[in-house]
Amino acid sequence: MKFRQIASVALSAALLLPTLSLLSGCGGEPAITLRVYNWEEYIDDGGEGSYVYDLALEEGADEDDIVAPSILEDFEQWYFDTYHEKVKVVYSTFGTNEDMYNELKLGNEYDLLCPSDYMIMKLANETKEDGTPYLEKYDESFFDKSDPLNYYIRNVSPYIQEKFETNAGLNTPEGSPRWSEYAAGYMWGTTGFVYNPEAKVEDGTGNFVELGKFLEEHGWQTFVHPAVRNKITAKDNVRDTYFAALGVAFEEELLALDRSADDYIERLTAYFNATDEKTIDRVEPKLMDIKKNIYSFETDTGKADMVSGKIYINYAWSGDAVYALDEGEAGEIDEKTGEIKEGSQIFLDYYVPEAGSNLWFDGWVMTNGVTERGTKKAAQAFVNYMSMPESAKRNSYYIGYTSVIAGENREMLDYTDWLYGVDEEEGEYYDLSYFFGSEAGIYAEEEQRTSRQLFAQFPPEDVIARCAVMDYYREDASERINELWSRVKAEMLDAWAIIVICVTVAAIALFTVFVKFGGKIDFFRPKPKKGYHKVN
Amino acid sequence: MKFPRFTRKTLCIPYAVFLIFFVIVPMLVILFYAFTDDEMHVSFENFIKFFSDPTKLSTIVYSLVIALVTTVVCLVIAYPVAYILARSKLKKKFVILMLFVLPMWINFVLRVNALREIFNLLSRSPALEWLADANYFKTVFGMVFDFLPFMILPLYTTITKIDNSLYEASADLGGSALTTFSRVTLPLSMPGIMSGVTMVFLPSMTNYVVSDMLGNAKVTIIGKFIYDYFGNDWHMGSMIALVLLVVVFLSTWLSGGFTSEENVRGANL
Repeated sequence: MKFRQIASVALSAALLLPTLSLLSGCGGEPAITLRVYNWEEYIDDGGEGSYVYDLALEEGADEDDIVAPSILEDFEQWYFDTYHEKVKVVYSTFGTNEDMYNELKLGNEYDLLCPSDYMIMKLANETKEDGTPYLEKYDESFFDKSDPLNYYIRNVSPYIQEKFETNAGLNTPEGSPRWSEYAAGYMWGTTGFVYNPEAKVEDGTGNFVELGKFLEEHGWQTFVHPAVRNKITAKDNVRDTYFAALGVAFEEELLALDRSADDYIERLTAYFNATDEKTIDRVEPKLMDIKKNIYSFETDTGKADMVSGKIYINYAWSGDAVYALDEGEAGEIDEKTGEIKEGSQIFLDYYVPEAGSNLWFDGWVMTNGVTERGTKKAAQAFVNYMSMPESAKRNSYYIGYTSVIAGENREMLDYTDWLYGVDEEEGEYYDLSYFFGSEAGIYAEEEQRTSRQLFAQFPPEDVIARCAVMDYYREDASERINELWSRVKAEMLDAWAIIVICVTVAAIALFTVFVKFGGKIDFFRPKPKKGYHKVN
Repeated sequence: MKFPRFTRKTLCIPYAVFLIFFVIVPMLVILFYAFTDDEMHVSFENFIKFFSDPTKLSTIVYSLVIALVTTVVCLVIAYPVAYILARSKLKKKFVILMLFVLPMWINFVLRVNALREIFNLLSRSPALEWLADANYFKTVFGMVFDFLPFMILPLYTTITKIDNSLYEASADLGGSALTTFSRVTLPLSMPGIMSGVTMVFLPSMTNYVVSDMLGNAKVTIIGKFIYDYFGNDWHMGSMIALVLLVVVFLSTWLSGGFTSEENVRGANL
């Protein structure tokens, strides 16, 4: 008994300890709290597999000695060293842009968010119910290149900055805010198909073709092609899957567009952002076909299912594609020999449909009120810190996505070269001048140039030229699309089935009522008082 | 100075506070959202829309069917187990009971994920290829797998509590084993059945983690539907939640009718 008492006291003390330390933590010098709200798994978390860790490992450090802190800890340290002020980053994550939007609408306060292009636009255009805007503009001094601490503007790729200043060519109404006023880029990429090039599918005529060829031939139609039934996945969110269904429905029109025309990108963008009734009528059956043909709607299981070989094709964002490609390549390590087990590797490829696909950008935006809360300086410093080439490398290495950072001295080009480049004799020149400026490029093997990580991270200019940016659904469109999505996701029962089931349920209910009251109508009578029992 | 007297009622205050803030207020908020539009004016539009939209009706009926099937399967599996365990003279029956309850101690997402992988493994063999497409089957399977302990436990408790002399009396009066079961055991275990049914039926209408992971998100039950709507239309989402609430209330009220109050004790976990 005594032992138990001691144990329980010890246990409760142990439970209390963290609270105590929290309390004492409050007593220290006042620190600014910067609340950052970012996508899940979208930042360098440190530890095994991070850039710092792997670099140290490559230099021969002992596994147990390596210290690889998360980039957030490093930021806090850097901020203190630079500005001699303490900042505490409170970091939380969201799963979709819409979740994030709802949190904001609810009145949850964050300082810095990382929404995607269309959501940046929605937030910049809308105001809260009390009339205050959602976002706050960046200071003009943030874009001053002469300040050495303005890492963002000094390092960002001119290509990205141009996109942010022109809203990536979206046909926005006159007087719309520009992204660049409210947002600083973080990651960018395309969407496309991750596929297993070794898998062969029967294309309906009895011939087996390689998946790469199959995809080239069928493009978006792959989604609805019976040959890949149950071997392909779509995203479990309306934005990406509606986009894909538009591709399926309008592929012929998209391919027929004149690529050299001045208004090509505008027309392409218009196709991929159509939300009118007529379009929806055409897209709906395609969405139903997609649902029938795919293995699953997924949000995060696609990567693992690709690597395990369960599915052949996964519609994915380019960064996730890189992640899946890396994972597949890593294979399983044999504990004894330390080498990769034979046959455990799987080499995946990435493909962007010929007819066009999605080009997207995620950027940091500050919420309204950062000035009053005194966190604007820290928020901008955070963005600047994340924009240092070193940080960009760390984040990009950790999550697989492509940073918007090019680097003042093209540090990111060197990094890309380090990852994917080969000697001049072994590979061919891969032009990256659109992103890094004139005469930038690396030598890489053919696979990297056409279908693997390098291609996914930095698609060639002609691929990007056929990619459209998403606009946000304006008022009535939003409802139309959501209703469409619920029709797609729900299983439609025939009227007779509904009636039969309803009648059955009603019969059960009636039976229960009968059993319950057994013909007695004394249900509405007051119950007997306490202490008295009804005698039947 | 006089301190307020500490009575047993005082002990209820924490629960009352909890009830107000986490049950009643949220319920009112749902009610408010369900009957307002974007401009926060009172409107019955969502109500009409819900009952005139075949998609939503279909979904709620489908969820109902899935939940019913799950409940029935759970009951069919759980009753014999609980009965045998409760009536047997095994010395270590506690251990066997534990074996059934043990899965509850393992994280639920982990279990569902494991099941998903098992199904995937099975569907690779040609004989079981149909499994890849059987999303409804897998969903119901997952739900049964997940909620079975919730059915076994209340059944076990009620059946153990049945007085042995009742069985003896039944035998004395010439009742066969079947008669004893149908006239003694079954009626007396009704409270357990009812609380088990409630505990399985209600969550299986809304537990969309199972339908997402095992049904490959191609099976949409009402819980997922509500979640999807809360992504962009809170008013419709609240309306669906409210309809579900009414369905749940009705089913609880009806099922409560099988038992008189004193029998329920102990069976409600």
